[in-house]
Amino acid sequence: MSGFIAILSTFLIASIRMATPLTLAGLGEAYSERAGILNLGVEAIMLTGSFTGFMVTFWTNNLLLGVLAAMAGGVAVSMIHAVMSIKCGVDQTIVGLALNFFALGLTSFLFLKAFGQGTILPTCVTAAAFPLPLLSKIPLIGPILFNQNIFVYLMFLAVVGFSIVFYKTDWGVNLTAVGEHPRAADTAGINVFRTRYIACLINGLFGGMAGAYITICQLGFFQEDVTSGKGYMALVAVILGRRNPLGVLAAALIIGFAEALQFNLQTIGIPIPSQAFSMIPYVSAVIVLLFSIGKSADPAALGIPYERSKR
Amino acid sequence: MGHKVRSAVSFLLVALISVALAMLLISLTGSEVGRAFAGFFRGIVGSSYSIAEVFVKATPLTLAGLGVAVAFRSGFINIGTEGQLYMGAIAATAIAMYLPNLPALLMIPACMLGAFLLGGLWALIPGLLKSRFGISDVLNTIMFNYIAIAIVGILVQTALKDPNNYFPQSPPLPAASALAVIIKSTRLHSGIFIALAAAALVYLFIFKTPAGFRMRAVGLNPRACKCVGISALSCVLISSLISGGLAGVAGFCEVMGLHHKLLPGISPSYGYLAIIVTLLGKNNPLGVVLAAIGIAALQVGSLAMQRAASVPSAIAEIIMGVVVILILARQTLFKGLLQPARKEEKA
Repeated sequence: MSGFIAILSTFLIASIRMATPLTLAGLGEAYSERAGILNLGVEAIMLTGSFTGFMVTFWTNNLLLGVLAAMAGGVAVSMIHAVMSIKCGVDQTIVGLALNFFALGLTSFLFLKAFGQGTILPTCVTAAAFPLPLLSKIPLIGPILFNQNIFVYLMFLAVVGFSIVFYKTDWGVNLTAVGEHPRAADTAGINVFRTRYIACLINGLFGGMAGAYITICQLGFFQEDVTSGKGYMALVAVILGRRNPLGVLAAALIIGFAEALQFNLQTIGIPIPSQAFSMIPYVSAVIVLLFSIGKSADPAALGIPYERSKR
Repeated sequence: MGHKVRSAVSFLLVALISVALAMLLISLTGSEVGRAFAGFFRGIVGSSYSIAEVFVKATPLTLAGLGVAVAFRSGFINIGTEGQLYMGAIAATAIAMYLPNLPALLMIPACMLGAFLLGGLWALIPGLLKSRFGISDVLNTIMFNYIAIAIVGILVQTALKDPNNYFPQSPPLPAASALAVIIKSTRLHSGIFIALAAAALVYLFIFKTPAGFRMRAVGLNPRACKCVGISALSCVLISSLISGGLAGVAGFCEVMGLHHKLLPGISPSYGYLAIIVTLLGKNNPLGVVLAAIGIAALQVGSLAMQRAASVPSAIAEIIMGVVVILILARQTLFKGLLQPARKEEKA
């Protein structure tokens, strides 16, 4: 019995760690989608954040500066998307996909420029676990919830913070209005454009932070396409979680559990090809999407540019 | 006339900005811009081999790009051509491996049909999930890419593995399954004819058949189609089947024309590049062919530039992303530049 609990708690710790970047990026995307901006470039935001975060941490050995740089990198990408979708009114899906290409090329290019085609992967310091005094001593939930790194705590705080903003403030009501019926919101005196730009800004900040988590917390190094589809996983979590912060967290935990399972199965050493395990998170994402059937509650103006002069 | 000139000027500006950006990136790496560009163009038109190489890459890009175009026409955002290409490669390899005694006349059509069907099935599932249940096609097709690549990785270590080879890959496939090389001492194979024929067929299908018309109508306005009794479901299903099938045939061409065996990394992101091809080709079969040649040239040239001036070939991805974004933003970006030009025309 105690053995089972030990395994379970190891799994839950790993699941939470895997779910952290998905939740952080998912919260940002949920905010953006509530305002009506569908950004499929989460992958680009995260990858850029991973890269800038790693580079600055590598140069300065300062994790805080690294995280700030990652957030700045994420914002840079999300602002391109914002200008394209809010000012130019173009197809948001396609801009997002083009940005993914752009970010993949740019980060590989700059990484090669900085370090060359070396055989040794440059590494940086990583954020260590930071047990919270007293709380981490609680049996069972202590090690799972309160013996994690700072990003995990930030994620939990962000889930609470986003819930309050969405459901308990005027700001959240305005956000929903902008996403559901921008003309009505505009008529009521809400600045649709500013609200949407801020939403994109927040998406960039949190997506960049999620990217930083991958390089300067989980891995300690950067490589080409280091996010490997995590941005898309975050989008899956947003859809299943119906843009509700707690829902996003729950969906991310399911995918995070699949990832933790995958890593553990690979290390057991069952003699079947490792790809059978590495595809588990993607298969679970497809299954998770299946569960979103019939729950479609997309904001009415999602993905539709707002033009004042048109009816 | 005025509109065409303005449009041409803005495209020229997009090209100029992209070239300027490329020059900036090249000088960032400390390489000589002139030498890098010389290497780029030598890599594309320097020899008959290099010209052929452009068309070798244009073949899968055309096929997969046509697939994306057919899907986009019906409103099915198929980002999964990469996975569908891999599934096509699996089907073609499996048929050639397990039916090695078929004569070439049967072997090639059988492999091609198998590739079409398995690739099509891989797109049909997300197509069905989208049109029947409203599940995001973008996300499902992307997840299916990762799953397909993992399946190839599993198969080349198990059912399709060459027992005499240490590396995970299939055994060399029977000679009867190979697509003929059409220019000696190059890698250009007859797959290019398959791609061109597919472009013609897709053109006829989209623009000259009732099914193609219904498909386009569904892509433009699914609600109006529902009102006049056109089934969006069946249109999306047909288009996803054809879309994935074309990508599957691209995988067939890569296996049978180029490698003659199944390898884990058989596609260097052709499926993703195909989306750019389709966007630049404006979902039009002829446009797709031209864009595929352009993107193939960019790929071949950037690889040559990497060899000649050690500029990372990732520069190609940057330029492609920027070109797509600039073309999308063209109307807004050049508004100020183009309106004075129009006034001058009138005066």
